[in-house]
Amino acid sequence: MDFSSLPLLSITTFLPVFGALVIMVLRPKQTKTAYGIGIAFASLTLLAAIMIWIQGIGSGLSQIEELSWIPSLGIAYRLGVDGISFPLVLLTAFLFLTSLIFSAKIKDNANIFIELVLMLETACLGVFLSLDLFLFYVFFEITLVGMYFIIAKWGHEHRKKAALTFFIYTLVGSLFLLLAFLALYLFSDPNTFDIQQLVANPTITGLAATLTFWGLFIAFAIKTPLFPFHTWLPLAHTEAPAAGSAILAGVLLKLGTYGFIRFPLQMTPDAFREFAPYVIVVAVFTALYGAFVALAQTDIKRMVAYTSVNHMGYLIFGVAIAAVTTTTSGMIALDGAVLQMISHGVVTGVLFLLVGALQDRTGTREMNEMSGLLKAYPILSGLFMLAAFASLGLPGLAHFPAEFQIFLGGFDVYPIAVGIIIIGLPITTALYLRAIQKVFLGTLAEGFSGVKDLGSRELWAIVPLILATILIGIYPDSLLSMIHATTNFFGL
Amino acid sequence: MATDLLNILPQLIVLSTTAIVLCLEMARLPRAALWALVVGMLTATGVAVDLLGTDTTAFSTTFRVDALSLWAVIILGPATILFALLGRSELKDSAREGTIYSLMGFSALGAMILAGSGDLMFIVLGLLIGTLAGMAMAAHPRNGPSSEGAMKYFIYGSVAGAIMLFGLTYWAGLAGTTLISGINNPDLSSYAVMFGFITLVIGIGYAASLFPVHFWIPDTFEGAPVSIAAYLSVVPKIGALFALAQVVRDLPVSLVDWPLILAVLAALSMTFGNVVALWQNNVIRLLAYSTVAQSGYYVLGVIGVGQSSLAIDSLVVFGVAYALMNTGAFAITLGEGTRLDDFKGMGKRRPWQAVGMTIFLLSLVGMPPLAGFAGKFLLFGAAIESGYSWLAVVAILNSAISLAVYMRIVVPMFFQETEDRQIKTYAPGTSFVWISTFALTIAAGIGVQWFLA
Repeated sequence: MDFSSLPLLSITTFLPVFGALVIMVLRPKQTKTAYGIGIAFASLTLLAAIMIWIQGIGSGLSQIEELSWIPSLGIAYRLGVDGISFPLVLLTAFLFLTSLIFSAKIKDNANIFIELVLMLETACLGVFLSLDLFLFYVFFEITLVGMYFIIAKWGHEHRKKAALTFFIYTLVGSLFLLLAFLALYLFSDPNTFDIQQLVANPTITGLAATLTFWGLFIAFAIKTPLFPFHTWLPLAHTEAPAAGSAILAGVLLKLGTYGFIRFPLQMTPDAFREFAPYVIVVAVFTALYGAFVALAQTDIKRMVAYTSVNHMGYLIFGVAIAAVTTTTSGMIALDGAVLQMISHGVVTGVLFLLVGALQDRTGTREMNEMSGLLKAYPILSGLFMLAAFASLGLPGLAHFPAEFQIFLGGFDVYPIAVGIIIIGLPITTALYLRAIQKVFLGTLAEGFSGVKDLGSRELWAIVPLILATILIGIYPDSLLSMIHATTNFFGL
Repeated sequence: MATDLLNILPQLIVLSTTAIVLCLEMARLPRAALWALVVGMLTATGVAVDLLGTDTTAFSTTFRVDALSLWAVIILGPATILFALLGRSELKDSAREGTIYSLMGFSALGAMILAGSGDLMFIVLGLLIGTLAGMAMAAHPRNGPSSEGAMKYFIYGSVAGAIMLFGLTYWAGLAGTTLISGINNPDLSSYAVMFGFITLVIGIGYAASLFPVHFWIPDTFEGAPVSIAAYLSVVPKIGALFALAQVVRDLPVSLVDWPLILAVLAALSMTFGNVVALWQNNVIRLLAYSTVAQSGYYVLGVIGVGQSSLAIDSLVVFGVAYALMNTGAFAITLGEGTRLDDFKGMGKRRPWQAVGMTIFLLSLVGMPPLAGFAGKFLLFGAAIESGYSWLAVVAILNSAISLAVYMRIVVPMFFQETEDRQIKTYAPGTSFVWISTFALTIAAGIGVQWFLA
């Protein structure tokens, strides 16, 4: 089909915020109406994203849309898509829709909540689709503001502290990003903020390239997060409302990992190659640290939060492998890393929603206070176990093909590092099995029997994500072929 | 001579406007005085916009008609109108209401003269006009705190001004001329030039509220009416920093490593301002320390002069942004009250004003796509291009601290309940000011192109 007359990327990006404006103007009295409008716009966004797919994702950046903005500084409104950004666009549209369906129970200031979520969706889509450093930065920062208010207003007990920590911490990261972007601009010739030109012709070299690389590294390491920059994550993930945690883990962390692939890997490739061994050490440490600390948690939400740190360690390991080697093994690792973003988004997203559903019913997140819940909530428990198995990397589910490719690609270059990082797998297996045993198996603790199992609203949110988990697990090529075309095109 | 007069027409219009305003006040017609100020400032701004692109000097190179001096009129003219409207809202029907308008005009004229200084005497003159008029405004309520604040302002001003005057005599003596361009001579004695520069920084830093000559600020701001504090936080600062840029344009780095001196001052100002602001419970004092920090960022643009293509653009854009966002924040404070507790529950009570305040504060932090971001973006770029990347790093770490500062106002607005007390109302002038600065803070952030050369 041909939609080439429509600016599909801009439509996709701005549909959610348009929905927010509609709610702002209509001010529906009924929360149901408000959620109806919100979900309708989120669905339209997903539809628009699918239309981008039908239009055809090229191996290089395609479907470019460009408007003049600040010509004196080489800044323009530029959007485009390739095989790495599109899967993330799809993930974003999908996860925001399901999260919004899941949160339909929030009645407190519902209108503002939906407006913020929709604004956040626009910002996330904008980040993935931007082809201009300035525009990228604008969207990147707006995500902070949106998320701050979501955590601070609708979070749990320590929400204000968590929100402020998140805001300040990640702001430091994005300010380093700003400096790195300015350096990329000042050292480009002719001076431009155009990502396409900076990728095609990376002119920055020497000390400037090294400093720029480390600026980008710090910025994205905070966002991803990598050890030792991860300390904001457990707090923010634990205190955010369920949908907020799902979006935070599923989409916002990907802003960091996507940044790693788009900027250091493509714009300062030599510096990245030079310092890749350090990055690999950090990534391996992050993966193991995340796994061990997750093992030590008794709060189930914190546990899931720390497994994110573990998965991000694998992911950045894959990216660093791609920076070191230009052979096929580098490409395999990068394919795996990109797929890992999607797998982690879907799986951790659904895990956080399930933990949210669990907390709504039991009123606690302490694993020690729960037991035998399989008897009380068979559907919830079953789905949680499935998602947990996916998260620990069971073959046939979403994480397996991604992690397999990362390790396979890495084995060629750094076999010892792979040998160490792979220790993370048995640990996550152990911690999930222990959690399942404690929470769902055994005798049913008192006081948990009266509440109903998952309702239709929750099922509508959770089941599609579970289906996606299975689909990616058994047919990863649905996305991998698109991803591979682009990584191949990089020709690193 | 005729072209000279034509070139300084904006400043002449401001001068005559101020004189007319004063006469109207003598006739006890405060309303008419206000209107005269509005019309005069708008005319001056219009003429300055028309002159944009001119790059020349007037009166034997003693006054420079260039981007900086013209933009000073374009920024400070409308800003003065906004402050006058705030003053009208706050001080209406007080005794000598009209003097405020004429003093605002005089002080703005001082800042506009500073911004175009081509001669050391203009720097002295501009600084004196600004300070004397500002001091009288700060003392307007004639009570304890305001007199104390004005006294501090005056004493600091006289001492800093005297030191500067003393140091500048060395420059004049060495160069044999009071023209700033006289100093552009590598054969001069480095120590004497350095001494002169340091005293100049003390004099200008006082008006620009730079550390360590900022101590008058919190007390003067707290004692003065809110509208006057707002005025003092914007107008003298922009004039003084533009004057500094005019001086360093002609100052050879081989004589004085002025970028380094300014970089150290910038780093200290930002850090001191932000850290001390963290402990304030009075919004005016908090904003007062925040202006010290903002001056620190602003100096990054001056450091870039002569070394970075972004320097003049960054000074102009940040000037516009700062005038807008700071004025907006003061306007909301005037409407709500000056204690942090006055902001409690504002999100429910007055959602639009709360959103407005949040936008002003986030713009002060430097969040895109707001005006403050565009300004800081260019400032950081100028610093990096001049080889001061470490200063840019200090500046971004300070931006992160400043978020914690400004969030201290945002949190009570949205996450606490209104106290049981009499709620103040917004005068029409205050509403006009916050709404217009709100719209322009967003518009200027997106439409940066308008302000670039």
